[in-house]
Order: sequence, then structure tokens, then C-alpha cells
Amino acid sequence: MSQDTHAEHHDVIAEIKKVTIILSVLTIVELILGFWMIGITSPGLRLGIKGVIIILMMAKAFYIVAYFMHLKHELKNLIMTIIVPLALFIWFIIAFLADGNSFRNLRNNYDRNFKEQSTIKVEKKEAGAHATDEKGGAKEGEHK
Amino acid sequence: MSHEAALHTHESHGHDDHGHHEHHDTFLTKYVFSQDHKMIAKQFLITGMVWAVLGGLMSVLFRLQLGYPDASFPWLESILGKWAKGGQITPEAYYALVTTHGTVLVFFVLTAGLSGTFANFLIPLQIGARDMASPFMNMLSYWFFFTASIVMLSSMFVETGPFSGGWTAYPPLSALGDASPGSKSGMDLWIISMALFVVSSLLGGLNYIATILNMRTKGMSMTRLPLTIWALFFTAVLGVLSFPVLLSGLILLIFDRNFGTSFYLSDIFVNGVGALSNEGGSAILFQHLFWFLGHPEVYIILLPAMGMVSEIMSVNSRKPIFGYMAMLGSLFSIAVLAFLVWAHHMFVTGLNPFLGSVFVLLTLLIAVPSAIKVFNWLTTLWRGNIRFTPGMLFAIGFVSLFISGGLTGIWLGNAALDIHLHDTYFVVAHFHIVMGVASMFGMFAGVYHWFPKMYGRYLNNSLGYIHFWVTMAGAYLIFWPMHYEGLAGMPRRYFDFSIWESFKQFAELNRFISTVAMIVFAVQILFLINFFYSIFKGRKVLDPNPWQSNTLEWTTPINPGHGNWPGEIPEVHRWPYDYGKDGVDFIPQTTPVGENESSH
Amino acid sequence: MSNVTTASTKEAKWWNGGKSPFDVEYGKVMMWYFLMSDAFTFGAFLISYGTVRFSTNGWPDPNAVFKSFPFAPEGVNAPLVFVSIMTFILIVSSVTMVLAVHAGKMMDKKGVVRNMIWTIIGGIAFLSCQAWEWNHLHHEGAWWGLNPFINADGSASTTNFTNFFFTITGFHGFHVFSGVVINIIMLIMTLMDKFEQRGHYLMIEKAGLYWHFVDLVWVFVFTCFYLL
Repeated sequence: MSQDTHAEHHDVIAEIKKVTIILSVLTIVELILGFWMIGITSPGLRLGIKGVIIILMMAKAFYIVAYFMHLKHELKNLIMTIIVPLALFIWFIIAFLADGNSFRNLRNNYDRNFKEQSTIKVEKKEAGAHATDEKGGAKEGEHK
Repeated sequence: MSHEAALHTHESHGHDDHGHHEHHDTFLTKYVFSQDHKMIAKQFLITGMVWAVLGGLMSVLFRLQLGYPDASFPWLESILGKWAKGGQITPEAYYALVTTHGTVLVFFVLTAGLSGTFANFLIPLQIGARDMASPFMNMLSYWFFFTASIVMLSSMFVETGPFSGGWTAYPPLSALGDASPGSKSGMDLWIISMALFVVSSLLGGLNYIATILNMRTKGMSMTRLPLTIWALFFTAVLGVLSFPVLLSGLILLIFDRNFGTSFYLSDIFVNGVGALSNEGGSAILFQHLFWFLGHPEVYIILLPAMGMVSEIMSVNSRKPIFGYMAMLGSLFSIAVLAFLVWAHHMFVTGLNPFLGSVFVLLTLLIAVPSAIKVFNWLTTLWRGNIRFTPGMLFAIGFVSLFISGGLTGIWLGNAALDIHLHDTYFVVAHFHIVMGVASMFGMFAGVYHWFPKMYGRYLNNSLGYIHFWVTMAGAYLIFWPMHYEGLAGMPRRYFDFSIWESFKQFAELNRFISTVAMIVFAVQILFLINFFYSIFKGRKVLDPNPWQSNTLEWTTPINPGHGNWPGEIPEVHRWPYDYGKDGVDFIPQTTPVGENESSH
Repeated sequence: MSNVTTASTKEAKWWNGGKSPFDVEYGKVMMWYFLMSDAFTFGAFLISYGTVRFSTNGWPDPNAVFKSFPFAPEGVNAPLVFVSIMTFILIVSSVTMVLAVHAGKMMDKKGVVRNMIWTIIGGIAFLSCQAWEWNHLHHEGAWWGLNPFINADGSASTTNFTNFFFTITGFHGFHVFSGVVINIIMLIMTLMDKFEQRGHYLMIEKAGLYWHFVDLVWVFVFTCFYLL
């Protein structure tokens, strides 16, 4: 092994260490946010935290793809042929979620029964109990 | 296939310069589990043809019902048995026929049969490669397709019949076994078949992409690729990125069918069963997932035809293709837009109107690259020294059909009009012209043009001309009247129109359409006879470059062996469209650029 | 046009044919495009999940559902703890995979073997965790078509919560499983000196790409199901 590859070897190991630490830190921050969110009821703040979590998720994805999957060190040609098609996800996500949201609004506006059904509170029960409640039981009977 | 054995002596000299000549080809490795891209292409083509005949026959049968709803044909009962009691097709059989006709023609004929055939055949030959990047995966791709088609075929023989809820397989018809006879085991087989087909197209598509990117010969830069290859490249990208979404949709469908989930089901009451417990799902979700594949699928079908037509037109007009870069750019923008417009199939589902208007805008944008392509084809023909070979006629026919069918696409792309026209015969006419028949024409053009390369013989020209003119006239006679029926509100997928007062006026017209459909089908049989006769007995090709073409496939021997070029792979020095340049009729891509040559 | 490309800069020469424009062998191009394709499969699943969530009025609080821990007493309330362990297992196995790929590049067979073994152990550990979690949820009455949990606002929940959870984590688990199988095959091939004979460890790189992709998908699945 020549001197050159040896130095390179240390660079790579150092980079792997760095990325591992970054990924761990990002995950820990995500988890802290997740714990923090348990006690929060304000919908606006929850939405904000969720936004931050999504940004952190994208950052993690970037580090995995760029360093672990080595994409950052590939030729620009390859990077572009991978990244550009992924842009299709933008409209894929926006259109699907927007239509899902619109479907909920439609149902809430025009299907009064649906609206009422979804506001009825059910008795809080221990999740640890076995599925002997009516709903689960009925569903089990349906099983083909 | 005895002629192939005879040709083998021809090819034996093509085997000395690379690794493939070591082992001896047995019948099994040469014709069945072949890893030669040319043989795999022929396998795709012939399997596609079998399906085209079956699918065409189905359309003849259901056109019989639509044209002659009161007549009884005892011979039908002898073919279809209980599906045609008393010589009349039952409604269940009618829906099964319509569904299977759609599925097999869209997926098996125009996807596998078209891009499977020509991507396999042309990519290595035109870019200057010995074979695909992974010949083994290429072989697997065909055999997955073959298995898929066997599964689909077997679904026609199950007790309750094949799936009958339309090729789009919308839930709840596809998700509830009780919904219709075809929703039982027929649907299970349909899903299995489609899943295998997705695997096949994935294996093929990855291979096409890797081959085009990595295996081009020296000098074959991306802007020197024939437009065929560009079109096949975008086709492969579309397939690789959109088929998995269908796969996801089908997996969720399997869970809905078998494991009591309700991804696509909510608030359903079945007669005789009662209210189902499924809640919270949405049938529209499946439509979104399906059309996220379904719309790119339209271009998976159309783009290869476009590419081949560009190539054939340039060769037979003895003129460079007009606007190579514009052609390329429009292919690219069509490929991108294909992913952004899927919900224009869903304007009447209760789609959010604002979202719908965005989809209208994106849909209408497709008209721009499409128009660029059409004008480029027309200007390629302009003042060309046109040779009206059957292949060229089919290429011109493609452009004609693409224009007529594309224009009605602009109508349908408008949400406001679509609400009136949705699910009428107008839609049937539109997509059959622009996607079905037009791509079929592209496929015919390709077969006529590259048949000498495939089999070393020519197809019979006279039969080719009869084939073209009858099919061309027939296509318009069948589908043009359907526009009027659709505008009058005649819905598609109905079993019998004679019971509606408002559609009685079309009885005569429907009979006319059915009669023409049968004639056109008969002429396709003529083509098949021509095809199979010419493989064995056609006029032999003596000139390695019978069309005086520039592209690399014509620099191979007349019957190239596995590995394509007997010696070195030729180097490329120019783009493929130097026709009539500086007074020279054609300059093959392998000719070095002369010193005093003008740049094009 | 072609004249323009011939006389253009070094960068454009990559595209001139006779070599890969990406300077990688075809298998890696195929692997990348396969992963893109798979990204659309998972994307479609997760987007469907999002769509159904957006079209539903209430949704269970993940912290009320995923709060158990193996060997802990029944009824323990430890949200996010178990899944964070699973996440770290997968990240660590991804790190060992990078080390294996790097060792392969250095033609260091011992390093490859050591790191591949760790990666496989990580994969199996992840699958075991998932098996435990599925089993636990199943005992609580959750399965495809069965949802014992209630929405965060106390209203009845649809079964789509569990439907999507089991389908997507199951599909991911299937990918982890096939990744482990691939890695075991790679380990055996390494031990048989297959790559030493070939003179390169490119197969390990491709297996590594797949393994990192599985980790990448988990990043999204973890966020979508446990955090949001």
C-alpha cells in the first residue's frame, strides 16, 4: 500500500466517523423533538415541530446518500441522473396529499353522518387488553 | 425454423473475435433460453403477435355483440361454451373480453411487444455494442414476461372467468371478490400476471438504460445517437420509475382482497351480504396510484413508435431529420410531463377542482412538444426524395393518426369538457387512435423496416401495401364515427345499447363499425401470413444496407451472429442523419469527417 | 451539433462513447436505477399512507401505541425508546457496511469479512426487534384489518393505521431480510476468495448500495410512523 492510498484511507475513515456522528446527533435531536411533542397540544406548534423533524429527516437522507452511498464522490453526470428524476416526487407528494385533504373536506362537508361518526368518543381502554372489543371481534369475523 | 439452421453457416464467421464462440449453441440455448439480444427481440415480437391476435379476436367478438345485439351466432357457443349461451355473448363474457382486450393490448402487445422487441433489437445494434449490458437479465426479462402471459392466459380458463372490471382494475370491482364473477380467482391471476410483468419490465428497463449509457461504441456521443435510441431510453426511464408505483398499488390491492384491510374500501353495501365493515379507505387512492403508472404507460407505448418513425422517415425521405435537438428536447419534455399529468384521467372522481385545473394546465402543455414533433416530421418529409416503402407508409400513417388522436386529447384534457365526454365513446376513439392504432403503426413500420435485419429476407411489398391501406382506412372508419357517438353521450363499456331510446339511432353505425373491424382484423391475419411466410421464403437480402441507411446496424453482416460484428466494433464519426449532404446521398456514421466537409 | 460536442470541453468527453459517462461499471448503473425504482415503490406506499391520513379526521397518537419495551413489565410507558434502538442498530450496520466497502477497495479481505459479519449481525438484530414489535402489537390485538387503538382525540380509529403500519414496515422488513441474504452471499463469496480472484470487490459495493438504501428507507418509515 503506497503512502498515497494510506493517507486516503485515513481520510475515508475520518469521513465515515464524521458522518456517523452527524447521523447520530440528528437522530437524537429528532427523538428529543419527538419526546417534547408528547406533551404539546397546540396544533400550530405541533405542526412546526413536525416540519423541523421532516427537515432533519431530509438531512439524514442527504448524509446517507451522499457519503454512505458515496454519491457525493461520483462524477457529476451520475449525481445529476440520480437527483433530477427524484424531483418527480415533489408533485407526486403535493398532488396526492392535496387530494387526500380535499377528500376529507368533501366528506366532512357533504356527509353529515361521517362527520358525526368521527367525533364520537370511544371509551378509553387499556391497549394491553386483548382484542375482545366489539369492533375488533366483528372484524375478525369478517376475515376471509 | 429450419431456415435458421441454414443461415447458421452464414453467421459462423461472425463468431471469432469475442468470448461467445467457445460453447456450442444447442437448440435450447439458441432459440429458447437465448441470451442473444436479437433472439430475445424476436421472442418478444412473436409473443406480442400471439397476444395481438388474441386481443384482436376479443375485440372482434365484442364488436359482434355491439354491432348485432339481437343476432345469435351458434358457432360462438361452440367456441366460448357457457360464455355464449344460445350463440349470444353473455354480459359477463362481454366485460371479460373488454377487460382482457385492454390489458393484453396495452401491456403485452404495445409495451412488451413494442419496446421489448425494438429496444432489444435496436439498442445494441445502433449504439455499437456486442449485446446488452447483462444478457442474462435480458433473458430473464423475457421469461418473466412469458410467465406473466401464461398466467394471464390461464385466467381465461378459470371457472368464474377472467377479471372483468376494466383494464384499469378500479376497486371495489377489483378489491371485492363478491363484486362480480371476474373479481374472484380471475382477478388474483390478473394481479399475479401484472406483478410478473412489472418485474419483467424492470429487468428489461434497467438493462436498456445501462446499455445505452455505458456500452456506446467509440465516438457515439449522446447527440450522435439515432432518435430511436433516445426514444427507447426515455421509454425505459419511464418504465423504471412508474411501474413500481403500480406494484405498490397492486400490493395494497392484494391486502384488501385477502387480508381484510380497507385501503381502497369504505362505506360499501353489497346486495345480499349487507354493509361491509371496511372504513376509512378511498377507491380514488387506487386511481391515483394506477394512473401514476397509467399515464407514463401511454408514453411508454408511444415513445418507441415516435423514435422509430423519426428514423424511418429520415431514411426514406433521404433527408436529415429536421430539428434533431428539438426532437430530443420534446422527447425529454414529454417524458417529464408524462409524470405530472396522471389525474386528468380522474376529473369526474370528485378531484379537487383547483388541483384539477393544475392538471389541465400541465396536460395542455404536452401539446407543445407533441406539436414540435409533428412539425418536425412534416418538415422532414418536405421536398424529400420520398421512397414509399411499406415501412415509410406506416410511419406517415403514424403521424396522421397521432395528429387526429392528439387533437382530441386537447379536448379531453380540459376538465370542463371532460366532464361531458368522460367514459364515452369519444374517449375510446381518442385513445385508440392516438395510442392504440398509432403505436401499432409505429410497430408495423419498425417490423417492415427492420425485417431484413432480423431475418435476412424482405417482407412481401404488395401484401404490405394492401395491409397498410386497408388498415389505415379501417382505423379511421372504425374510430372516426365513435367521436360522434361519444359527443352524443354514448357511454363506453356498455353491453347493449339497443335498449336505450337515445342510442337506437346508432344501431346502424355500430354495425358498420363492427363490420370494418372484422375486415381490418382479417387484413392483420394477412400481415401475419406475410410475416411468417417471409421468414422462410421471403426474397433474400443481398445488400447489407438495403435502405441505404447511415446507422450502425447496417454495418453488420446480413445475418449477424451473437456479438453482431465479426471483427472490431466500428467507430462512429458523425451523427446518423447525413442524408443528401454536399450532394452525397448518404454518409454512414462510420465514415470519418472529410476535410472540406461542411458542418450540418 | 455533433461537431460541437467533438470540439467541446473535457467534461463532455465523458459522453463520447467507448466508456461509461459515469466512470462506473454497468452493474452499478443498474443498481442505482434499481434503487430509484424501489424508491418509487416505497414512495408510493408512504405517499398513500399520507394521503389516507390526510383524508381521515383522526389518527392514533404513535406515542400511545409504540410505548412498550421487551422484558419490561406490562403497561410500561416508554414511547420512542424501542424504535430508537432499532434505528441505531440500522445506522450502525450501515456504518459497518461502509467500512466493509472501504476495506474491499483497499483489497483488505480480513476487513471485509469482519465488517460484513457485523453488518449481518446488525441486520438480524433489526429483524429480531421488528419481529418482537410485531408480535407484541399482534398480542395487543393489532393486525391487518384489526385496530385496537383509538385516535388521539378519543374517537374511533379506522383500521388503516395498522394496515399501513404492517404493510410498510413489513415491506421494509422484507427488504432488510433480502439485504441480509445478499450480505451473507457476499460474505461467503469473500471467504471463497471469489473477489480476490477477480481483483476487485465491486460486488460488495453494489450490495452496500442496497443495504444503505434499506437504511435510507427506514429513515423515512421511522419518521412517518413513529414521529409524525
